[in-house]
This record gives sequence, structure tokens and C-alpha cells, in this order.
Amino acid sequence: MLTRTAAIAGNTFREAVRDRVLYNLVLFALLIIAGAIFLGELSAGQEAKIIVDLGLSAMLLFGVFIAIFIGVALVYKEIERRTLYAILAKPIGRGQFLLGKYLGLSLTLVVNVIIMGLGVSIALLYIRRGWDPLVARVWPAILLIYAELLIVTAVALLFSSFSSPALSSLLTFFVFVIGHFSADLKSLGASSASMPTRWLFSALYYLLPNLTNYSLITPAAHGVTPDARSLAASLAYAVFYVAALLASASLIFRRRNFK
Amino acid sequence: MKNSAALILLLVLGFGGAIWLSRWIENRRGRSASQLDAEQLYVSGPAAKRLTFAFNGLAADWYWMRSLQYVGRKVIDYEDNSAGQFDLNDLSKLDLNLLSPLLNVTTTLDPQFIPAYQYGAVILPELNSDAAISLLEKGIAANPSSWILYHHLGYIYWQRREYDKASDVYATGAKIAGAPGWMAAMSARMKADRGARDVAREIYHRLSESSNDKTVKEMVAKHLMRLDWLDDRDVIQASIKNYHSRFGHCPSAWSDLVASLHGTRIRIDETNGWPVDPSVMPYRLINGGCDIDLDEHSTVPR
Repeated sequence: MLTRTAAIAGNTFREAVRDRVLYNLVLFALLIIAGAIFLGELSAGQEAKIIVDLGLSAMLLFGVFIAIFIGVALVYKEIERRTLYAILAKPIGRGQFLLGKYLGLSLTLVVNVIIMGLGVSIALLYIRRGWDPLVARVWPAILLIYAELLIVTAVALLFSSFSSPALSSLLTFFVFVIGHFSADLKSLGASSASMPTRWLFSALYYLLPNLTNYSLITPAAHGVTPDARSLAASLAYAVFYVAALLASASLIFRRRNFK
Repeated sequence: MKNSAALILLLVLGFGGAIWLSRWIENRRGRSASQLDAEQLYVSGPAAKRLTFAFNGLAADWYWMRSLQYVGRKVIDYEDNSAGQFDLNDLSKLDLNLLSPLLNVTTTLDPQFIPAYQYGAVILPELNSDAAISLLEKGIAANPSSWILYHHLGYIYWQRREYDKASDVYATGAKIAGAPGWMAAMSARMKADRGARDVAREIYHRLSESSNDKTVKEMVAKHLMRLDWLDDRDVIQASIKNYHSRFGHCPSAWSDLVASLHGTRIRIDETNGWPVDPSVMPYRLINGGCDIDLDEHSTVPR
């Protein structure tokens, strides 16, 4: 079973590479190089902070675009090209197929994130003309960005299991935005006098992903790292949430009629 | 082939026309914009923080660089219009009314952005010391373990001649873990020596040490030059007084004083024997040699 899932994941990764998804790294490299060279003049000694902010924000933004636009097309392309029929005719379950697709895109994202992280580290070494503790301290934030991207990919996959790519992209983007306002959802619910409104906001708060747990770019730029417990809790949250989303996507996908 | 040439021509004409029009619009806009007193900030700090969700650090950097460029642009405009070098110690000549809101947005987006508070603490007091105090208090609330912000707040109170408050702020900052020993000493000196020049000198040295910003360092250097000039003036005036008591009149030239100035803190230009100020311009004898002043080309602030 694992071999089949791994084969689908490998193919999804190869397809992403063939689709020139990793070309975004060129843009990222140009951004970081330009930042490292020119920011010193403009930032009054704050170039290291700005490089981290710029690098990690670009990593999140590019990653979210990949997760959304590639994620929503993962299933749709197979249906459109009718390759899905050939795959499902083999001893591969629909859930397995979805899991393989998800792991393939996750592999693409991990390659992307690691290369970008190395880019940020090299830029910092260049700016500081040698080792700086900030080079190591940005990596927990990078790990959390990757965890956030895993959640966004799972959301995209869930929507694409029953909806068109355009609608799935839009919905995933909304979830990404609302996920960063989850604290507001909670406070809106708490400030409401009506019980149904409270329940609604509470339900939304717990059902939608709480992506503020992964917003550690700004502290990382100041060299602040999360403590091991909150890092582990955030990663565990991502694992639970992704598992729930993939299970939902599989349930929906199983019931879909491709005739 | 003919088709390709036509397309290339169209491409060149298209881009050329677009670039020319863009420059024309820019020039027109430049003229009308200069009529406006200042650009406006459309987004408040809290609104900007909501709008930028995961990217608030990057947005803070953007506002930080905008703050620096805002001051820089105002200095350039001033120098262009008044055909002279701008003195960083006379910021009131620049209309920097947007600096406080810009720094406020920066620090709302990234409350841990210490250099933004430091910059505000040095630049803002000359324009609006209340705004500077409120920025620093906001910084202290967000970074209670940062002793450097207490140092800057104490500096603002000291500039306002509120020496007791300054002393209290330094004393509070001195209790923070990691605060250097001179914070407690500064608190005591604020109480005892209040506005004395030595206190000023130490404050400016500490400010210069704690900042990486070129503008801040330049500004502090000017303050230190001014303190040196005041010290020089005291020495030279004492020497003039001494000369007057011996000869019954003020010195007519520097040569009358050179001997008495040797061995003091005063720097002497070896080529002509004249005393020079911290910007290495010669001092001037005024009021019939009974007083001294800076040369008109001196860069030392008065």
C-alpha cells in the first residue's frame, strides 16, 4: 500500500518539477540577492531583520500560491485528462490516490521551503560577513511556515475533491485569510449577546484552521524562537488538522461518481 | 521578415511611448504634489496590522524605510530650496509632521522593532516631545525587558529639563536584568547635576553607542561638538578675562592669547597659531576682542 502511495507521490512531484513549479525559486533568489545588496542603504542598519522578513514572507506567499494553484488542480487535472480512470482501475483506493497526491505536493513544498530557507541563511551570512545566531534562529519559523503550507494544501485538496479549480482556489484563499483572523472570530463570538451567534463563531473558530499559530515571521526577524512545547503543539495541531481534512476529502472523493 | 521588423518597431514605439508618457505624467504630478503640504497616511497602525495578517513584519519594514526616506527627502528638499547644508540639530526647520504617525504605524505592526523607537526618541523630541514620550511609553509597554528604551525616555525628559522624571526613568530602567551599571549612576547624576554639561556628554556618548543609525550618530556627534565648543568658550573667555585684568584691555589678536591657551583643552592651528573649534574652523574674536564666536563657516551648532 505504501509503495503505491509513494509512487503517486513521486509522480506528483515529478509533474510539479516538469510544470516548472520550482522556477519560483529563481524569482525568490533574485528578490533575496537584491535585498541583500540594496537594503543596507535604505534600512539604516536593519538589513538582517528586513532580509528575514522579506525572505520568510516571500516563502509563505510563494508557498501559499503553489499550495492553492497546484493543490486545487491535483485531482482536477487527472479527471480532465481521464488519467484518473486508468489509475483507479489499478488496485489503488481513492483515499490512497488522494494521499499520494497530497504527499507529492508536500514534497514539492519541502524542497521549495528548504532551498528558500538556505537562500535566507546565505543572505544573512553575506550581510553579517560571517556567522550570526539569526541564521539558526530563523529555522523554527521556517518549519512552522511549512506546517502552515501543509494545512493550506490539505484545504485546497479538500475543496478540489468536490469543486471546480476556480472555486476551490477562491475558497482556499478565503480559508487562508480567515485562518489568520481566528483570534477575531473568538472575540467576536465572546462579545456577542446572542447564543446562536456565539455558537456560530465558536464553531467557525474551531473548524477553521488557526493559522496565527504559524505566524512567527516577525519574532524570527528579531531572533526570537518559539519554545519547544509551543513548537511541538503547533506541529501536532497541523498533523491532526491535516489528517482530518484528508479524511474528509477521501470521504467526499469516494462518493464521487466519475461515470 | 517584414512582419517581424514591423512588430519590433511597434514594440520599441510602444515601450518608448509608454516610458515618455510615464515621465510626463510623473513630472506633472511632481509639480502638483509639491503644492500639497505633505502626503497623508491613509491607514492607521491597527488597521494596517489587520490588513497585513501574516506579513506585518514586512509591512513594518516598509513603513520604517518610508520613515527614513521621509526625513531624507525633507532634508534634500530643504537643501535644494535654501541652497545650504542642513543642520540635523535644527529639525524644526523641516515640516516633519508625518514622522510620528509613520513611526507609530511601524511600531504597531512590529512592537519589537527597537530601532524605530530609538530613532523616534532622538528625532521626535525636537518636533514634538509629547509624541516622542508616547512612542517610547508604547515601546516600553511592548518590551518591558528592554532597558535601552528607558535610557531613551530618560533622555527625552532630560531634554525637557524634567530632571526628576528623567532620574526616575533611569532608576526604573536600571532595575531591569542586563541593564548596564551606568543607568543607576545616570539616575543619581540626573538628580544631583541635572542639566550639567558632563551629564549631557555622557548621555550623548551612550546614545551614540546604542545606535546603528547613521543619522542618529551624526546628530549626536553635532551635540557633542556643541558641548566641546561651550567648554572651549569657557576656557578662552577665562583667558580673555585674565588678559584684561593684566593689561586693562581685551586682546587685539589671537597671538596675545596663544601662550595662555597652550596646555589647555583648546586645539591650536599650528600654521597660524589660531585656536580652532571642533569642526577645525578658527574661532573669531568679537566685541573688540572681549568675547569669541564661531566662524560663519563652522559646522558646530550654536
